[in-house]
Parts: sequence; C-alpha cells; structure tokens
Amino acid sequence: MGPGDAMSRRLRISGVLVISGLLVEALCLVWSKPIAFVVLACIGGALISAGVLVFLYSLLPAVPDSTNSSETADDEH
Amino acid sequence: MPTIAIVILVLFSAALAGVLVARPAITASSAGKILAFGVLFFLPLFSLMAGMENEMERSKSAAFCLSCHIMEPYGKSLHIDDASYLAAAHYQNHRVPADEACYTCHTNYAMFGTFKAKLGGLRHLYVFYLKKMPQPEDIKLHEPFNNRECLHCHLGARSFEQGATHNADPATLPAIKGNTLSCISSGCHDVVHNVGRWGNVKFWDGRS
Repeated sequence: MGPGDAMSRRLRISGVLVISGLLVEALCLVWSKPIAFVVLACIGGALISAGVLVFLYSLLPAVPDSTNSSETADDEH
Repeated sequence: MPTIAIVILVLFSAALAGVLVARPAITASSAGKILAFGVLFFLPLFSLMAGMENEMERSKSAAFCLSCHIMEPYGKSLHIDDASYLAAAHYQNHRVPADEACYTCHTNYAMFGTFKAKLGGLRHLYVFYLKKMPQPEDIKLHEPFNNRECLHCHLGARSFEQGATHNADPATLPAIKGNTLSCISSGCHDVVHNVGRWGNVKFWDGRS
C-alpha cells in the first residue's frame, strides 16, 4: 500500500468520525432535553475531536518502510 | 447564532465531509487540500464550538430547567399570586428576566460561577438518571444561598440601601452585605418557593 493509499484511508476514517460527530451534534441541537448537552459534549465532541486528530495525523508524511531501507543500505555496501 | 442556523451549518459540514469520504482523491490538488482542511478541521471545530455555545445558552433558560418534571412545582411557584413569595414576586415583576428566571438567582456571581452552575447541573443529571430522585419538596440547595447573588442586583438600589427595615439597626446593612445575615433565612425574605407548603394559594395567569 503506497503513501497515497494510506493518506486516503486516514482521510476516510477522519471523514467518517467527523460526520458521525456532526450528526450527533445535529440531533442534540434539536433534542431539547438536558441530557442532550452531555451527549453533545461527550459523544459528539469526542467523535469530532477524534476525526480532526486523524485528519492532522494524515498530514504527516508516511514513514518509509524500514525493511526496504536496510536492504538498500546493504546493497550499497 | 440561532439553533436552526447551526443545524444547517452542521448538516452542510457533514455533507461536505461525505464528499471527501466518497472521493478522497480530490485532495491531490491544492484546492482539494484546502477543502479538506476546511471540511475536516475548521468547519467541524467551528460547528462544535457554535453548538456548545448554543447549548450553554439554552441551559440558562427557565424552560430548560423546567423540562425535568421534578422541577415543575418550582416553575409553578413563580406564578403564585402572593407578593410575599420571593421567587414569584421577582418573576412576575420582571426583577429577573422571565425566560432565565431560574438561572439568574441560582447561578453564582463569583469567578467561575457559570462553570460551577454547570457542574451543579451535571450533578442534577447524575441524580436524575442514576440515583433515586427526591420528591420536589425534599430538594435542598447544595449550599446556603449566598447574599452575593441578591446583592448582584440589589446592591446600591435605593430600596435596599435606604429601606426602613434594613436601616432599623445600624448593624443590619453591614451584616447583609457581609453575608453574615442571610436575606432568605433570617425571617425577612424566607418565603421563596415553599414547594409542598402552599396551602390555598391563588395563581396568577400571566395576563391580568
């Protein structure tokens, strides 16, 4: 799997988490019960935060495969 | 921001995020990267902050407090047609904002007071859902009512500073201001909600 695939996968995961969190938030906003505040803060907030963190993680450059790197170094010697 | 505007923003953000989930390849271009930053970073955090702010504001409303049925008698006490009932007199004469009547008196006007009020609300939720609920008449304040909450509005007011009862004894006013003589439990303004002890009170219908 190439770095582009890994990034796409992380973007998808991030997107799914963000969408889930936003849907929870939308439900809480139309659900006028005191528990909605807790659900929004704990579940919606956690999902959105996790999605944003996964997105930020997806921006990091992919780490090169260490096995391939060592083989290349051996070939050079 | 009105609730409906936030809901529309949230659903719009979710729809855009759905586009990225379906076609992550669009992030290969510069415009796609900017879109991804907006959709997966900026918009979700902005929506979350707007939603939390909206919920915090909503939690100040009397309708929010009275949405738990255990609080219904307290809401009803605001309509008692008797000026000696402190909460009713404040509510009916708009000495407190009618739509935030509970919060105005029961928040804490010290530093972090709003935060403490919200923590108190979380405790109410915990008791409501996970513990045995008390009867409305058995509900007590977490701590004695601090005069600071009354003085937030009344301090400096002529009726308070020059009131005959408050000045009958030179020690009374300093004691009230120093919270050593409670406004509500000293035999002065001690009829507040009095849930469970109403007897044959009449109720104001809000029109006349």
